[in-house]
Amino acid sequence: MASLRPLGAVAFSEAGSGLEAIERLALGAVELIILDLNMPDMHGVEVLEFVRGHHAYRELPVVVLTTRGDEASRAEALAAGATRYLTKPFAPQNLHECVRELLDAA
Amino acid sequence: MPTSNPDNEEGEFFGQFLNEYYAECDEHLTLVRRNLLALEAQVGRPQVDHALLDELFRSFHTLKGISAMVGLSAAEQLAHHLESYLRALRQQEAALDTRGLETLLTATSLLEQVIGARRDEKPSPDIGVVVEQLEALTLSGSPEPAPESSRADAPPHAAPANGAAAKRTWRVEFTPTPALAERGVNVNSVRARLQGLGEIVRATPQVRKQGEIAFLFVVATDAAESAFGGWEADGLTVAPFEEEAPAAVATAAPAPAVTLGAANVVRVDLARLDELMRMVGELVVSRARLEDQLKGLKRGGVPAATWRPLQETSHTIGRQLRDLRDGVMRVRMVQIGETFERMQFVVRDLTREGGKRVTLKTEGRETEIDKFLVERMTDPLMHLVRNAVTHGLETPAEREARGKFAEGRIKLCAATRGERVFVEVEDDGRGIDRARVAARAAARGLVEPGASLSDAALLDVLCAPGFSTRDEADRGSGRGVGMDVVRNTVEELGGSLLLETKRGRGTRFVVELPLTLALTEALIVGAGGQRFAVPQSAVREVFEAEPGAVKRFENNEVVAHRGGALPLVRLARLFNLEGEGQGAARVFVLGGGGGAGALGVVVDRVIGQREIVVRRIADPLARAAGVAGATELGDGRVVLILDVAALRQLAAGRL
Repeated sequence: MASLRPLGAVAFSEAGSGLEAIERLALGAVELIILDLNMPDMHGVEVLEFVRGHHAYRELPVVVLTTRGDEASRAEALAAGATRYLTKPFAPQNLHECVRELLDAA
Repeated sequence: MPTSNPDNEEGEFFGQFLNEYYAECDEHLTLVRRNLLALEAQVGRPQVDHALLDELFRSFHTLKGISAMVGLSAAEQLAHHLESYLRALRQQEAALDTRGLETLLTATSLLEQVIGARRDEKPSPDIGVVVEQLEALTLSGSPEPAPESSRADAPPHAAPANGAAAKRTWRVEFTPTPALAERGVNVNSVRARLQGLGEIVRATPQVRKQGEIAFLFVVATDAAESAFGGWEADGLTVAPFEEEAPAAVATAAPAPAVTLGAANVVRVDLARLDELMRMVGELVVSRARLEDQLKGLKRGGVPAATWRPLQETSHTIGRQLRDLRDGVMRVRMVQIGETFERMQFVVRDLTREGGKRVTLKTEGRETEIDKFLVERMTDPLMHLVRNAVTHGLETPAEREARGKFAEGRIKLCAATRGERVFVEVEDDGRGIDRARVAARAAARGLVEPGASLSDAALLDVLCAPGFSTRDEADRGSGRGVGMDVVRNTVEELGGSLLLETKRGRGTRFVVELPLTLALTEALIVGAGGQRFAVPQSAVREVFEAEPGAVKRFENNEVVAHRGGALPLVRLARLFNLEGEGQGAARVFVLGGGGGAGALGVVVDRVIGQREIVVRRIADPLARAAGVAGATELGDGRVVLILDVAALRQLAAGRL
């Protein structure tokens, strides 16, 4: 999250699990999701599928964080509608650029 | 230059998309059929093979997803309910019994029909009844809410609720709101609250009709109902899980299909493979031309040191071409097992209606055969299997009275021998009643009254157009294709059909087919100054008849051959060609296995045997009766390929 500070006037909200992440959508407007595929309750791809299955979030930018070597999950995430992916560990700069680009485009 | 019309382009795109959809459905339905048959063996067991259920689940899940994408909601719904039932089975919330399996089978057939109806642009069959049956089955264990989470593997904490016999299961729905979140009531606190009460069996996010997000928890707990007191104030609704899920929970748009096909498999349009085969064929022709030219060099007195290296290179090319041809052919090959599985379903449908008991055994499922041939053979094989069930096999009571197992046996087997594939359909039923068929045939003037029929003659009668052993077509057989269509298809494909039947013991049909159609060995003959190619497979033998041996018999010619009279037809006359040779008649014999169906075709010359590339004549203006296609020989001249089945009909008209 620290790497995103330079974005300026952006509100962050952190969710510790898949259900929590989905709850965030219900509680307030979300403009972008950074989604780790590894979560305690749901697989990130399931969360993504749920998000894309909801008509309100079909276009919502979702950046997926994948682990090196887990190409299967990455492919699955892209098939499920991920906007971008980053492979961990990644340079903070990369995440920053990626998010900036998506927010500017939106 | 045509202007591009976006509507058309879009239509074309969608058409292409639909074709992909049908192909994918076909693949999954094939897999489903195979797995359902495997599942059948597990009926009544306390625990059903999970891998099998998972695979079925994934197939239906994909079918649901792709059906939603093309907007085929009936298929989507059916697949959804199938999926729900399978999930219930997987989580041991429902047990698999005969009724369950039957419903799975019925629903699968219906799904196939729904998809087929869309493809054929026909009205879709009604799915209401089957959906209700599936729902009843799913709910008989515990109800299954609309699955939002689309994974076959449930979340880690969603352990099956077995061992919770004393516990009760509740469904708890939570709709988060900012006001509740302010008070610290959120999905995490709700989860913690439920965990304090018992075991969370499932936790899934839901989308309600208005688009609100809600969470569904299924909790197994031994706590009393009073433990949930006052929860409504926290945005929670609690209900016993045994009840049907409230209709308010709408299904979210289905998740994108999970692609399941092995990543290293490519689906290719058969037309492209045909094209490839055609190119290989052209290479074969070019090489034949090279060989001819080499022979010319040799005869022209060119020193051996000059032509020998060329000859060797030509031989190498020849060998490489054979490898290439085999390689391309292998690409077109599919296992016949898929088709056999279809037959299992045919048998099952018939037995359910007809009160017969049948076991279908298959052998040689891994036998490979050209995709085009398999497609063309499906209907004829289905007809043979239907016949075997409805006409071949006796009722259980009849069978027991004869000391047979009450359960009839049908055996399907396939095997490759050399360049030919043999597919057999065998039943252990009553056998064909020769006397009855003979009487019917005599009544229609097909055979002499009182004639006794050999197997081959019997087949000829059965395959006579419009001939039926029944007065009325019943549900099982006699729909669509008849035996004449079966034989015509087989012969069109360059194959032959054989029959063996023993009274009281059973009947066996043997279909012999070439491995592939694109290339075939052919007999090259000359008649009326023209050359013709006859598929080698159709030719039983070739012989030379002395001019005096041919007898005129009324308007027909016959020749004494192998102790019988062989009817003759002159190829040149059949095609109205001039210049018939007067000397000894060269005759090639078509079909019949030496039996009554044999036909001798008289030609002027028998030139030899060649491997030819078959090109079908598709242009209706260029098509002529008796001609199946054309080919090119090494010298670049075009030769017509005779259509054996049509030739026989043509001859029957003339004789």
